[in-house]
Amino acid sequence: MSRVHVTCTINGDPAEFLCDGGQTLLDALRDEAGLTGAKEGCGTGDCGACSIVMDGRLLCSCLVLAPEAEGTTISTVEGMASGDDLHPLQQCFLEGAALQCGVCTPGFLVAAKALLDRNPDPTETEIRYGLAGNLCRCTGYDKIVRAVQTAAQTINETTES
Amino acid sequence: MAVRVHLSSNLRGPTGGLAELEAEGATVGALIDDLDRRYPGLGDALRAGVSVVIDGLLIAHPEYEPLADGAQVYFVPQTAGGSSHGWVCCS
Amino acid sequence: MTVTEPKPRYKYVGTRPVRHDGLEKVTGRARFAADLNMSGQLHGIVVRSPHAHARITSIDTSQAEAMPGVKAVITGDDFPAVEPGHRQYDMCVNVIARDKVFYEGHAVAAVAASTRDQAQAAAAAVKVEYEVLPAVLTIDQALAQDAPVLHAHMMTAGANPPAEEPSNISNITRFSSGTDMDAGFAEADLVIEREFTTQPVHQGYIEPHACVADTGQDGHTTIWCSSQGHFNVRSSTATLLGWENTRIRVIPAEIGGGFGGKTTVYLEPLAVALSAKAGRPVKMVMTRDEVFRATGPAPGTKLRIKLGVQSDGSLVAGDAYLIYTNGAYAGPGGLLGAMTVFESYKIEHFNIEALDVVINTARSAAYRAPAAPLTAFAMETMLDEIATELGIDAMELRLKNAVTEGDPSTMGFPFARIGFVECLEAVRGHPHFTAPLGPNQGRGLAAGYWFNIGESSSATVNLNEDGTATVVTGSPDIGGSRASMALMAAEELGIDPHDIRPVVGDTEAVGFTDTTEGSRATFATGMAVVEACRKMVAELRGRAAKMMGADVDDVDWVDGQAVYTGSDGTKDPLSVAAICAKAKRTGGPLTATGSLEAHGAGPGFAVHLCDVEVDQETGVVRVVRYTASQDAGTAIHPSYVEGQIQGGVAQGVGWALNEEYIYDSDGVMENPSFLDYRVPVASDLPMIDAIIVEVPNPAHPYGVRGVGETGIVPPIPAVANAIYNATGCRIRDLPMSPIRVLEAITANGGSNGS
Repeated sequence: MSRVHVTCTINGDPAEFLCDGGQTLLDALRDEAGLTGAKEGCGTGDCGACSIVMDGRLLCSCLVLAPEAEGTTISTVEGMASGDDLHPLQQCFLEGAALQCGVCTPGFLVAAKALLDRNPDPTETEIRYGLAGNLCRCTGYDKIVRAVQTAAQTINETTES
Repeated sequence: MAVRVHLSSNLRGPTGGLAELEAEGATVGALIDDLDRRYPGLGDALRAGVSVVIDGLLIAHPEYEPLADGAQVYFVPQTAGGSSHGWVCCS
Repeated sequence: MTVTEPKPRYKYVGTRPVRHDGLEKVTGRARFAADLNMSGQLHGIVVRSPHAHARITSIDTSQAEAMPGVKAVITGDDFPAVEPGHRQYDMCVNVIARDKVFYEGHAVAAVAASTRDQAQAAAAAVKVEYEVLPAVLTIDQALAQDAPVLHAHMMTAGANPPAEEPSNISNITRFSSGTDMDAGFAEADLVIEREFTTQPVHQGYIEPHACVADTGQDGHTTIWCSSQGHFNVRSSTATLLGWENTRIRVIPAEIGGGFGGKTTVYLEPLAVALSAKAGRPVKMVMTRDEVFRATGPAPGTKLRIKLGVQSDGSLVAGDAYLIYTNGAYAGPGGLLGAMTVFESYKIEHFNIEALDVVINTARSAAYRAPAAPLTAFAMETMLDEIATELGIDAMELRLKNAVTEGDPSTMGFPFARIGFVECLEAVRGHPHFTAPLGPNQGRGLAAGYWFNIGESSSATVNLNEDGTATVVTGSPDIGGSRASMALMAAEELGIDPHDIRPVVGDTEAVGFTDTTEGSRATFATGMAVVEACRKMVAELRGRAAKMMGADVDDVDWVDGQAVYTGSDGTKDPLSVAAICAKAKRTGGPLTATGSLEAHGAGPGFAVHLCDVEVDQETGVVRVVRYTASQDAGTAIHPSYVEGQIQGGVAQGVGWALNEEYIYDSDGVMENPSFLDYRVPVASDLPMIDAIIVEVPNPAHPYGVRGVGETGIVPPIPAVANAIYNATGCRIRDLPMSPIRVLEAITANGGSNGS
């Protein structure tokens, strides 16, 4: 089977890779583009560990075929920090001990950023439902929800000042 | 060293149900040898995998643990980790 | 936080620094096993049995071997023969079946090819002929008179009189008070007897099992894998292959959750065998479907307990008959159930009989305080019934019967200092305890116990030229233990925790260390770190004495500095950095090791309070408030202690309300995905208020008790008791799913709660 050439933008940089027609975008990101931040926890769109944002939409990259990425703009966890400056969500996850094993963390960070991008001041309930597509088996979600609350506050304070 | 031995109830078959007894040994291993002389078969049961509690301290692999005169030695099922012999745990 | 006993003032222990491995994990740079790729690597796929119980009559790999890209195919015949009686027989034949398969998903062959697609195609082309055997799928079927016997060699251990015929009972455990049980129950004013059933559940770690193995032409192999214990991966793989340990180096990758399920091996020996055969590195990654079908469920159970209590609430007699099924092979579920069922309470007359039973489902693995959540489900809901029946407050009933220091355990030994009463009091004093409830809401209280373990640990402390330190241990970090190691080292050495790099060393970089299990990493490996640091401080004092021209006895170590205490004038203190800078002139590199078998693991107790709201029309139960106290001994990094408690609660709530393995009549798992096996998500849970109780463990230099497991013990009964208080319905079968709750409400003639 001939390989498909995909041109897209990943984390702000032009990117291209070859993939199989039946390959998932998750596999292409991990195996072809060398970005292993997105994880496969289930391969069926149930755990959110492979969360990415494609053209502004939060997606499970395991449910997207790699050729569908042609011409799109993709954000992954690797693109969240600006140089040495962590995104407030990353900083708050660290300071709030919102990760234990850390394998779900990239997905949570991407999903939380997507949530705050469309709802900068979410209630606890909105955060819980906004992150309901991401499974964490270690934390019981308490510290994750708190970290997102703190990050929202930090972002809003920075924006206001 | 004369010590006071306490057997958890699953280990009392060879003693005919006796829970506490006096025995001797400078180490837990020697104590088990002495117990086996007094109650044939008890040694095998104890060597098959037990832990001890001495002075409140749980010791999972006690064979060479020294014993003080008058010590209270409690034999209990082995509370060792599970990776290699069954399983015990985790967070 | 509730501090219940005075303890030393620590500078670093008990603080909450950012964890050392955190940055890599929030930026996506952390390398989990599936993130690793080797030059020239092949992809391995396992061929699994579609049958729950069958004899393998033939395996034809010729077609698969001829397919494009295929470099190696292996079956059980590629491994040394292993006979029953071998210490690790079950592990060996579980990793790859020999003459029989014992569950759907049992590995029968494995294929390595250039691409995963090629390997999958070739795996499908491996022809396995089976003679299908009748499957034993439930405890009742396993114990039936005419039950097919899974293992012809299984003679029940602990049977009295000794077993003469093989059966599906691997083990019987008996504990008793040795007193007259009839007389004991005769002392009681109230006797209740109840039965409970629970289904197997999965640990549900988010990262599927994965590894890469690279076997060189010299016959040595390197394994990178996700495991709770890389030394165990080494020895198990060596055992299966018939190799010496020295031929295998295991490098631990970051581990994406384990909870007990990654304390054994599944893929690693297959990857090594494929790699050896193909002469190339082989990567293997399970799918979620494989994880569910072929790895680690916790046991299902049938439990029957009878309790006798006097009218003042004093428990006087307890009789427990516990049956645990450990899946296809022998396991200790029943033993551990027996060791935990009555352990939290003073009961003068007790008798416990526990059976471990084999059935044709995946071999059980450890899951966080194995067996204990189920005995707690039974005991703690029965205590609530007793409290209701006698008109005694549920908290007072527990306080009245709770074990304290000096009380005998089920096994006979007197408890050392424990914090059960303190945990009860911490919850009683929490605002949640007296907060008002809303309509259709109920509150449940429950306690839990887990004994924790010690075992072997090693640590090496290396001081670097600039005065910073590297702490190498052999304990895979599954929840923040590296930060704890750094904090204890910081306290000992007197340097900032962020000047310490905690590292998990591979099997050739650090001394033998047992698996991260039994809540032992911070306890036991922490002791090894402290030992190494104390040796280092002795060395630093000696080096400083040389530099000062003083006697070592006149040099103390105070707050990270060598301080002269002699009478020969004054001398400037020397920092770690100053001593390191002169290390070449004072004796060479500064390195120290600690290796020990940790004695004195301290039991952990927890007490939980849970509010639920029950939808009377749908049976849906929502946890609306949760408070959990737990005795941590001393919390080294309180944030991660809270995290362990909160994580245990979430898993326990899932176990209570949703999670179960569902099999069809042939033993084929019907819900092997996170869609159909539903674990709690963020919107299912409230905040979980963790109260850390600190009753220091006298056996640990900082008073640490393991904290990883106990938190999963109380949630099931806490939820069950809350459901009762919301609906008036006692549910004794797990999970308490909407349909089951609705049936109970309907049978009860509608709600009588609120």
